[in-house]
Amino acid sequence: MIFSPRPKAKHQRLVLLLVAIAAMVGAVLLAMSAMKDQASYFYAPGDVVRRGLPLDRAVRIGGMVREGSLERLRDGTTIRFVVGDETEATIPVTFTGIVPDLFREGSGMVAEGRFRPDGSFVASEILAKHDENYMPPKLGPQGDRHESGTLE
Amino acid sequence: MNHWLFIIAAYALVTIGVGSLTLLSYRAMRKAERDAQGFNQL
Amino acid sequence: MHFLANPARFLKIARPLTPWLGWSGALLVAVGVGVGLFVAPPDYLQGESVRIIYIHVPAAWLGMAGWTGIALASLMQLVWRHPLAGVAARAIAVPGGVFAALCLATGSLWGRPTWGTYWEWDGRLTSMLILLFLYVAYGALANADRERGGEGRATAIFGLIGAINIPVIRYSVDWWRTLHQGKSIGVAGSSIDSAMLWPLLISALGFSLLFGAIVLMRMRADLARTKIEARLRRMAA
Repeated sequence: MIFSPRPKAKHQRLVLLLVAIAAMVGAVLLAMSAMKDQASYFYAPGDVVRRGLPLDRAVRIGGMVREGSLERLRDGTTIRFVVGDETEATIPVTFTGIVPDLFREGSGMVAEGRFRPDGSFVASEILAKHDENYMPPKLGPQGDRHESGTLE
Repeated sequence: MNHWLFIIAAYALVTIGVGSLTLLSYRAMRKAERDAQGFNQL
Repeated sequence: MHFLANPARFLKIARPLTPWLGWSGALLVAVGVGVGLFVAPPDYLQGESVRIIYIHVPAAWLGMAGWTGIALASLMQLVWRHPLAGVAARAIAVPGGVFAALCLATGSLWGRPTWGTYWEWDGRLTSMLILLFLYVAYGALANADRERGGEGRATAIFGLIGAINIPVIRYSVDWWRTLHQGKSIGVAGSSIDSAMLWPLLISALGFSLLFGAIVLMRMRADLARTKIEARLRRMAA
Protein backbone atom coordinates (compact mmCIF):
# COMPACT_ATOMS: atom_id res chain seq x y z
CA MET A 1 0.00 0.00 0.00
CA ILE A 2 1.69 3.15 -1.20
CA PHE A 3 0.53 6.04 0.86
CA SER A 4 2.11 9.08 -0.73
CA PRO A 5 4.42 8.42 -3.65
CA ARG A 6 5.91 11.89 -3.96
CA PRO A 7 4.78 15.02 -2.18
CA LYS A 8 4.99 16.99 -5.41
CA ALA A 9 2.74 14.63 -7.36
CA LYS A 10 0.25 14.73 -4.52
CA HIS A 11 0.28 18.50 -4.58
CA GLN A 12 -0.28 18.56 -8.32
CA ARG A 13 -3.19 16.16 -8.09
CA LEU A 14 -4.81 18.25 -5.39
CA VAL A 15 -4.51 21.51 -7.31
CA LEU A 16 -5.74 19.95 -10.55
CA LEU A 17 -8.68 18.34 -8.85
CA LEU A 18 -9.65 21.48 -6.97
CA VAL A 19 -9.52 23.55 -10.15
CA ALA A 20 -11.66 20.98 -11.95
CA ILE A 21 -14.18 20.88 -9.12
CA ALA A 22 -14.35 24.67 -8.88
CA ALA A 23 -14.97 24.92 -12.64
CA MET A 24 -17.69 22.26 -12.54
CA VAL A 25 -19.45 23.76 -9.55
CA GLY A 26 -19.25 27.24 -11.07
CA ALA A 27 -20.71 26.03 -14.35
CA VAL A 28 -23.58 24.21 -12.70
CA LEU A 29 -24.44 27.05 -10.34
CA LEU A 30 -24.41 29.49 -13.27
CA ALA A 31 -26.72 27.25 -15.24
CA MET A 32 -29.00 26.91 -12.22
CA SER A 33 -29.35 30.63 -11.66
CA ALA A 34 -29.88 31.16 -15.41
CA MET A 35 -32.68 28.60 -15.29
CA LYS A 36 -34.27 30.41 -12.40
CA ASP A 37 -37.19 31.80 -14.38
CA GLN A 38 -37.74 28.90 -16.76
CA ALA A 39 -37.66 26.33 -13.98
CA SER A 40 -40.33 28.15 -12.01
CA TYR A 41 -42.80 25.67 -10.70
CA PHE A 42 -45.67 28.15 -10.78
CA TYR A 43 -46.72 31.60 -11.95
CA ALA A 44 -47.20 34.24 -9.26
CA PRO A 45 -49.79 36.98 -9.83
CA GLY A 46 -46.97 39.49 -10.33
CA ASP A 47 -45.51 37.38 -13.19
CA VAL A 48 -48.75 37.48 -15.10
CA VAL A 49 -48.65 41.26 -15.10
CA ARG A 50 -45.02 41.32 -16.19
CA ARG A 51 -45.02 38.50 -18.71
CA GLY A 52 -48.60 38.38 -19.96
CA LEU A 53 -51.19 35.64 -19.80
CA PRO A 54 -50.02 32.16 -20.81
CA LEU A 55 -53.25 31.24 -22.59
CA ASP A 56 -51.88 28.52 -24.85
CA ARG A 57 -51.27 25.84 -22.23
CA ALA A 58 -52.12 24.51 -18.80
CA VAL A 59 -50.04 26.20 -16.10
CA ARG A 60 -49.68 26.36 -12.35
CA ILE A 61 -50.25 29.48 -10.33
CA GLY A 62 -49.26 30.04 -6.74
CA GLY A 63 -49.78 32.65 -4.06
CA MET A 64 -51.69 33.50 -0.95
CA VAL A 65 -55.47 33.17 -0.71
CA ARG A 66 -56.70 36.69 0.07
CA GLU A 67 -58.51 37.05 3.41
CA GLY A 68 -62.25 37.37 2.95
CA SER A 69 -62.21 36.41 -0.73
CA LEU A 70 -63.24 32.75 -0.43
CA GLU A 71 -66.85 32.06 -1.35
CA ARG A 72 -68.77 28.89 -2.14
CA LEU A 73 -71.14 29.03 -5.10
CA ARG A 74 -74.68 27.79 -4.91
CA ASP A 75 -73.94 24.35 -6.38
CA GLY A 76 -72.02 23.56 -3.19
CA THR A 77 -68.84 22.19 -4.80
CA THR A 78 -67.55 25.21 -6.71
CA ILE A 79 -65.44 27.77 -4.87
CA ARG A 80 -64.20 31.17 -5.90
CA PHE A 81 -61.30 33.05 -4.35
CA VAL A 82 -58.60 35.60 -5.11
CA VAL A 83 -54.88 34.85 -5.09
CA GLY A 84 -52.36 37.55 -4.37
CA ASP A 85 -48.63 37.90 -3.79
CA GLU A 86 -46.31 40.61 -2.53
CA THR A 87 -47.23 42.77 -5.55
CA GLU A 88 -50.52 44.56 -6.19
CA ALA A 89 -51.57 41.94 -8.73
CA THR A 90 -54.25 39.37 -8.02
CA ILE A 91 -55.81 36.45 -9.87
CA PRO A 92 -59.46 35.43 -9.42
CA VAL A 93 -59.74 31.63 -9.34
CA THR A 94 -62.67 29.23 -9.66
CA PHE A 95 -62.42 25.55 -8.77
CA THR A 96 -64.86 22.68 -8.59
CA GLY A 97 -63.88 19.80 -6.36
CA ILE A 98 -62.32 18.96 -3.02
CA VAL A 99 -59.55 21.13 -1.59
CA PRO A 100 -56.87 19.92 0.88
CA ASP A 101 -57.47 20.42 4.61
CA LEU A 102 -54.78 23.06 4.77
CA PHE A 103 -56.38 25.20 2.06
CA ARG A 104 -57.71 28.31 3.78
CA GLU A 105 -57.79 32.09 3.59
CA GLY A 106 -54.51 33.80 4.34
CA SER A 107 -52.56 30.65 3.54
CA GLY A 108 -50.52 29.59 0.52
CA MET A 109 -51.77 27.51 -2.37
CA VAL A 110 -50.72 26.18 -5.77
CA ALA A 111 -53.32 25.52 -8.47
CA GLU A 112 -53.11 23.75 -11.80
CA GLY A 113 -55.36 24.83 -14.64
CA ARG A 114 -55.82 27.39 -17.41
CA PHE A 115 -56.15 31.12 -17.67
CA ARG A 116 -59.13 32.63 -19.43
CA PRO A 117 -58.62 35.65 -21.70
CA ASP A 118 -60.19 37.92 -19.06
CA GLY A 119 -57.34 37.07 -16.66
CA SER A 120 -59.28 34.74 -14.40
CA PHE A 121 -58.07 31.22 -13.73
CA VAL A 122 -59.99 27.96 -13.86
CA ALA A 123 -58.26 25.42 -11.64
CA SER A 124 -58.41 21.68 -12.20
CA GLU A 125 -56.42 20.82 -9.08
CA ILE A 126 -55.58 22.71 -5.90
CA LEU A 127 -52.71 22.01 -3.51
CA ALA A 128 -52.03 23.70 -0.19
CA LYS A 129 -48.63 25.27 0.38
CA HIS A 130 -47.58 25.97 3.94
CA ASP A 131 -44.65 28.01 5.18
CA GLU A 132 -41.58 27.05 7.20
CA ASN A 133 -43.09 27.88 10.60
CA TYR A 134 -44.02 25.07 12.94
CA MET A 135 -45.74 25.82 16.23
CA PRO A 136 -48.38 24.53 18.64
CA PRO A 137 -52.05 25.44 17.99
CA LYS A 138 -52.06 28.18 20.62
CA LEU A 139 -48.87 29.86 21.59
CA GLY A 140 -48.68 30.15 25.31
CA PRO A 141 -48.16 27.90 28.33
CA GLN A 142 -48.40 24.42 26.87
CA GLY A 143 -51.98 23.97 28.08
CA ASP A 144 -53.48 23.20 24.70
CA ARG A 145 -51.34 20.20 23.98
CA HIS A 146 -54.30 17.83 23.67
CA GLU A 147 -56.27 19.97 21.33
CA SER A 148 -55.40 18.88 17.82
CA GLY A 149 -56.68 22.02 16.18
CA THR A 150 -59.43 22.23 13.63
CA LEU A 151 -57.99 19.89 11.04
CA GLU A 152 -59.73 16.63 11.58
CA MET B 1 -58.40 12.73 6.59
CA ASN B 2 -56.93 10.72 9.45
CA HIS B 3 -53.35 11.88 9.87
CA TRP B 4 -52.39 8.97 12.10
CA LEU B 5 -52.66 6.51 9.21
CA PHE B 6 -49.99 8.47 7.36
CA ILE B 7 -47.86 8.87 10.49
CA ILE B 8 -47.99 5.14 11.26
CA ALA B 9 -47.16 4.24 7.67
CA ALA B 10 -44.17 6.61 7.64
CA TYR B 11 -42.79 5.33 10.95
CA ALA B 12 -43.33 1.71 9.86
CA LEU B 13 -41.32 2.32 6.70
CA VAL B 14 -38.46 3.91 8.64
CA THR B 15 -38.47 1.12 11.25
CA ILE B 16 -38.36 -1.59 8.59
CA GLY B 17 -35.80 0.27 6.48
CA VAL B 18 -33.34 1.24 9.21
CA GLY B 19 -33.90 -1.98 11.15
CA SER B 20 -33.16 -4.30 8.27
CA LEU B 21 -30.24 -2.14 7.12
CA THR B 22 -28.68 -2.36 10.58
CA LEU B 23 -29.34 -6.09 10.93
CA LEU B 24 -28.00 -6.97 7.48
CA SER B 25 -24.89 -4.81 7.96
CA TYR B 26 -24.28 -6.42 11.35
CA ARG B 27 -24.71 -9.97 10.08
CA ALA B 28 -22.47 -9.34 7.06
CA MET B 29 -19.80 -7.91 9.35
CA ARG B 30 -19.98 -10.81 11.80
CA LYS B 31 -19.74 -13.36 9.01
CA ALA B 32 -16.83 -11.64 7.25
CA GLU B 33 -14.89 -11.13 10.49
CA ARG B 34 -15.46 -14.73 11.58
CA ASP B 35 -14.31 -16.03 8.20
CA ALA B 36 -11.21 -13.85 8.36
CA GLN B 37 -10.52 -15.10 11.88
CA GLY B 38 -10.92 -18.70 10.70
CA PHE B 39 -8.25 -18.16 8.10
CA ASN B 40 -5.88 -16.91 10.77
CA GLN B 41 -6.23 -20.14 12.70
CA LEU B 42 -5.54 -22.39 9.70
CA MET C 1 -5.87 11.20 9.29
CA HIS C 2 -2.53 9.56 8.60
CA PHE C 3 -2.96 7.95 11.95
CA LEU C 4 -5.96 6.01 10.69
CA ALA C 5 -4.32 5.04 7.42
CA ASN C 6 -3.30 1.73 8.83
CA PRO C 7 -6.31 -0.65 8.74
CA ALA C 8 -5.11 -2.46 11.87
CA ARG C 9 -5.02 0.79 13.83
CA PHE C 10 -8.39 1.81 12.39
CA LEU C 11 -9.93 -1.50 13.48
CA LYS C 12 -8.58 -1.10 16.98
CA ILE C 13 -10.69 2.05 17.30
CA ALA C 14 -13.63 0.94 15.16
CA ARG C 15 -14.29 -2.31 17.04
CA PRO C 16 -15.22 -0.76 20.40
CA LEU C 17 -16.74 2.32 18.74
CA THR C 18 -19.31 0.37 16.70
CA PRO C 19 -21.57 -0.91 19.50
CA TRP C 20 -21.16 2.33 21.42
CA LEU C 21 -22.39 4.41 18.46
CA GLY C 22 -25.12 1.93 17.63
CA TRP C 23 -26.66 1.67 21.07
CA SER C 24 -26.44 5.35 21.99
CA GLY C 25 -27.89 6.18 18.56
CA ALA C 26 -30.79 3.78 19.07
CA LEU C 27 -31.44 5.22 22.52
CA LEU C 28 -31.49 8.82 21.27
CA VAL C 29 -33.77 7.87 18.37
CA ALA C 30 -36.16 6.21 20.82
CA VAL C 31 -36.21 9.33 23.00
CA GLY C 32 -36.55 11.81 20.13
CA VAL C 33 -39.18 9.83 18.27
CA GLY C 34 -41.06 8.91 21.47
CA VAL C 35 -41.31 12.54 22.53
CA GLY C 36 -42.13 13.56 18.96
CA LEU C 37 -44.96 11.06 18.67
CA PHE C 38 -46.55 11.27 22.09
CA VAL C 39 -45.44 14.43 23.93
CA ALA C 40 -44.71 17.18 21.41
CA PRO C 41 -47.66 19.36 20.39
CA PRO C 42 -49.40 19.10 17.01
CA ASP C 43 -48.87 21.97 14.56
CA TYR C 44 -51.29 24.89 14.48
CA LEU C 45 -51.84 24.42 10.76
CA GLN C 46 -50.82 20.86 9.90
CA GLY C 47 -52.24 19.13 12.97
CA GLU C 48 -50.92 15.71 13.90
CA SER C 49 -49.24 15.06 10.54
CA VAL C 50 -46.34 17.30 11.61
CA ARG C 51 -45.05 14.32 13.66
CA ILE C 52 -43.57 12.90 10.48
CA ILE C 53 -40.93 15.64 10.76
CA TYR C 54 -39.06 13.63 13.44
CA ILE C 55 -38.08 11.00 10.87
CA HIS C 56 -38.32 12.96 7.62
CA VAL C 57 -35.78 15.66 8.49
CA PRO C 58 -33.16 13.24 9.93
CA ALA C 59 -33.54 11.05 6.81
CA ALA C 60 -33.07 14.08 4.55
CA TRP C 61 -30.06 15.28 6.56
CA LEU C 62 -28.37 11.88 6.45
CA GLY C 63 -29.13 11.36 2.77
CA MET C 64 -27.31 14.62 2.05
CA ALA C 65 -24.60 14.22 4.70
CA GLY C 66 -23.93 10.73 3.33
CA TRP C 67 -23.06 12.02 -0.10
CA THR C 68 -20.98 14.82 1.41
CA GLY C 69 -19.04 12.06 3.19
CA ILE C 70 -18.65 10.12 -0.06
CA ALA C 71 -17.32 13.26 -1.76
CA LEU C 72 -14.81 14.00 1.02
CA ALA C 73 -13.61 10.39 1.10
CA SER C 74 -13.32 10.41 -2.70
CA LEU C 75 -11.19 13.54 -2.53
CA MET C 76 -8.91 11.90 0.04
CA GLN C 77 -8.69 8.81 -2.11
CA LEU C 78 -7.81 10.70 -5.29
CA VAL C 79 -5.36 13.18 -3.80
CA TRP C 80 -3.73 11.49 -0.84
CA ARG C 81 -4.37 7.89 -1.91
CA HIS C 82 -5.61 7.26 1.61
CA PRO C 83 -6.09 3.47 1.72
CA LEU C 84 -9.22 3.59 3.87
CA ALA C 85 -10.93 6.41 1.99
CA GLY C 86 -12.30 4.15 -0.74
CA VAL C 87 -13.51 1.67 1.86
CA ALA C 88 -15.31 4.45 3.74
CA ALA C 89 -16.94 5.89 0.60
CA ARG C 90 -18.18 2.45 -0.45
CA ALA C 91 -19.55 1.81 3.03
CA ILE C 92 -21.65 4.99 2.96
CA ALA C 93 -23.36 4.25 -0.36
CA VAL C 94 -26.05 1.81 0.85
CA PRO C 95 -27.06 3.56 4.11
CA GLY C 96 -27.00 6.93 2.31
CA GLY C 97 -29.29 5.59 -0.38
CA VAL C 98 -31.63 4.00 2.16
CA PHE C 99 -31.98 7.29 4.06
CA ALA C 100 -32.54 9.26 0.84
CA ALA C 101 -35.29 6.80 -0.11
CA LEU C 102 -36.83 7.05 3.37
CA CYS C 103 -36.76 10.84 3.09
CA LEU C 104 -38.72 10.66 -0.16
CA ALA C 105 -41.17 8.06 1.18
CA THR C 106 -41.90 9.84 4.47
CA GLY C 107 -42.14 13.16 2.64
CA SER C 108 -44.66 11.67 0.27
CA LEU C 109 -46.73 10.36 3.19
CA TRP C 110 -46.53 13.80 4.75
CA GLY C 111 -47.45 15.61 1.55
CA ARG C 112 -50.75 13.82 1.03
CA PRO C 113 -52.52 15.01 4.22
CA THR C 114 -50.98 18.50 4.11
CA TRP C 115 -50.40 19.63 0.51
CA GLY C 116 -52.99 17.29 -0.95
CA THR C 117 -50.61 15.27 -3.13
CA TYR C 118 -48.08 12.45 -2.77
CA TRP C 119 -45.76 13.88 -5.37
CA GLU C 120 -45.08 17.05 -7.33
CA TRP C 121 -42.19 17.74 -9.68
CA ASP C 122 -40.95 20.81 -7.87
CA GLY C 123 -37.29 21.75 -7.40
CA ARG C 124 -36.82 20.23 -3.95
CA LEU C 125 -38.56 16.93 -4.58
CA THR C 126 -36.93 16.44 -7.97
CA SER C 127 -33.39 17.20 -6.76
CA MET C 128 -33.86 14.79 -3.84
CA LEU C 129 -35.03 12.07 -6.25
CA ILE C 130 -31.90 12.72 -8.33
CA LEU C 131 -29.82 12.15 -5.17
CA LEU C 132 -31.43 8.72 -4.77
CA PHE C 133 -30.62 7.85 -8.39
CA LEU C 134 -27.03 9.02 -7.85
CA TYR C 135 -26.73 6.67 -4.86
CA VAL C 136 -28.02 3.75 -6.93
CA ALA C 137 -25.57 4.52 -9.75
CA TYR C 138 -22.70 5.02 -7.31
CA GLY C 139 -23.43 1.74 -5.57
CA ALA C 140 -23.47 -0.15 -8.86
CA LEU C 141 -20.24 1.51 -9.97
CA ALA C 142 -18.48 0.84 -6.65
CA ASN C 143 -19.59 -2.80 -6.64
CA ALA C 144 -18.44 -3.41 -10.19
CA ASP C 145 -15.15 -1.76 -9.39
CA ARG C 146 -14.56 -3.85 -6.30
CA GLU C 147 -15.36 -7.08 -8.17
CA ARG C 148 -12.70 -6.22 -10.74
CA GLY C 149 -10.30 -5.31 -7.97
CA GLY C 150 -9.75 -1.89 -9.50
CA GLU C 151 -8.42 1.24 -7.86
CA GLY C 152 -11.86 2.82 -7.81
CA ARG C 153 -10.76 6.02 -9.48
CA ALA C 154 -13.83 6.33 -11.71
CA THR C 155 -16.04 5.67 -8.68
CA ALA C 156 -14.27 8.40 -6.70
CA ILE C 157 -14.59 10.90 -9.54
CA PHE C 158 -18.30 10.10 -9.78
CA GLY C 159 -18.59 10.63 -6.03
CA LEU C 160 -17.01 14.07 -6.34
CA ILE C 161 -19.05 15.23 -9.33
CA GLY C 162 -22.30 14.03 -7.77
CA ALA C 163 -21.71 16.35 -4.81
CA ILE C 164 -22.88 19.27 -6.97
CA ASN C 165 -26.40 18.05 -6.31
CA ILE C 166 -26.06 18.69 -2.56
CA PRO C 167 -26.13 22.54 -2.67
CA VAL C 168 -28.80 22.27 -5.36
CA ILE C 169 -31.04 20.37 -2.92
CA ARG C 170 -30.28 22.76 -0.09
CA TYR C 171 -30.96 25.94 -2.07
CA SER C 172 -33.69 24.58 -4.38
CA VAL C 173 -36.34 26.20 -2.18
CA ASP C 174 -34.57 29.59 -2.46
CA TRP C 175 -33.69 29.52 -6.16
CA TRP C 176 -36.96 28.26 -7.48
CA ARG C 177 -40.55 28.52 -6.46
CA THR C 178 -41.47 25.18 -5.00
CA LEU C 179 -44.43 23.51 -3.36
CA HIS C 180 -42.03 22.49 -0.59
CA GLN C 181 -41.70 25.20 2.04
CA GLY C 182 -38.48 27.11 2.65
CA LYS C 183 -35.84 26.07 5.14
CA SER C 184 -36.77 26.03 8.82
CA ILE C 185 -33.31 25.55 10.29
CA GLY C 186 -30.45 27.81 9.25
CA VAL C 187 -27.42 29.54 10.70
CA ALA C 188 -29.66 32.36 11.94
CA GLY C 189 -31.88 30.06 13.98
CA SER C 190 -35.03 28.10 13.49
CA SER C 191 -38.67 28.79 12.77
CA ILE C 192 -39.72 25.60 14.55
CA ASP C 193 -41.22 25.99 18.01
CA SER C 194 -38.82 24.76 20.69
CA ALA C 195 -41.31 22.11 21.89
CA MET C 196 -40.91 20.47 18.45
CA LEU C 197 -37.32 21.46 17.80
CA TRP C 198 -35.61 19.66 20.66
CA PRO C 199 -37.05 16.19 19.99
CA LEU C 200 -36.23 16.76 16.32
CA LEU C 201 -32.59 17.54 17.11
CA ILE C 202 -32.31 14.53 19.45
CA SER C 203 -33.80 12.26 16.82
CA ALA C 204 -31.44 13.67 14.16
CA LEU C 205 -28.42 13.14 16.43
CA GLY C 206 -29.58 9.60 17.22
CA PHE C 207 -30.04 8.66 13.56
CA SER C 208 -26.62 10.18 12.82
CA LEU C 209 -24.90 8.00 15.44
CA LEU C 210 -26.76 4.97 14.12
CA PHE C 211 -25.65 5.89 10.62
CA GLY C 212 -22.06 6.06 11.88
CA ALA C 213 -22.38 2.59 13.42
CA ILE C 214 -23.76 1.16 10.17
CA VAL C 215 -20.92 2.71 8.15
CA LEU C 216 -18.35 1.29 10.59
CA MET C 217 -19.93 -2.17 10.37
CA ARG C 218 -19.83 -2.07 6.58
CA MET C 219 -16.21 -0.87 6.60
CA ARG C 220 -15.23 -3.70 8.94
CA ALA C 221 -16.98 -6.25 6.71
CA ASP C 222 -15.21 -4.80 3.67
CA LEU C 223 -11.78 -4.94 5.34
CA ALA C 224 -12.35 -8.52 6.55
CA ARG C 225 -13.34 -9.57 3.05
CA THR C 226 -10.24 -7.95 1.59
CA LYS C 227 -8.17 -9.90 4.08
CA ILE C 228 -9.84 -13.17 3.08
CA GLU C 229 -9.34 -12.46 -0.60
CA ALA C 230 -5.66 -11.73 -0.05
CA ARG C 231 -5.26 -15.03 1.85
CA LEU C 232 -7.03 -16.95 -0.88
CA ARG C 233 -4.78 -15.45 -3.52
CA ARG C 234 -1.70 -16.35 -1.52
CA MET C 235 -2.91 -19.92 -1.00
CA ALA C 236 -3.67 -20.30 -4.69
CA ALA C 237 -0.24 -19.02 -5.67
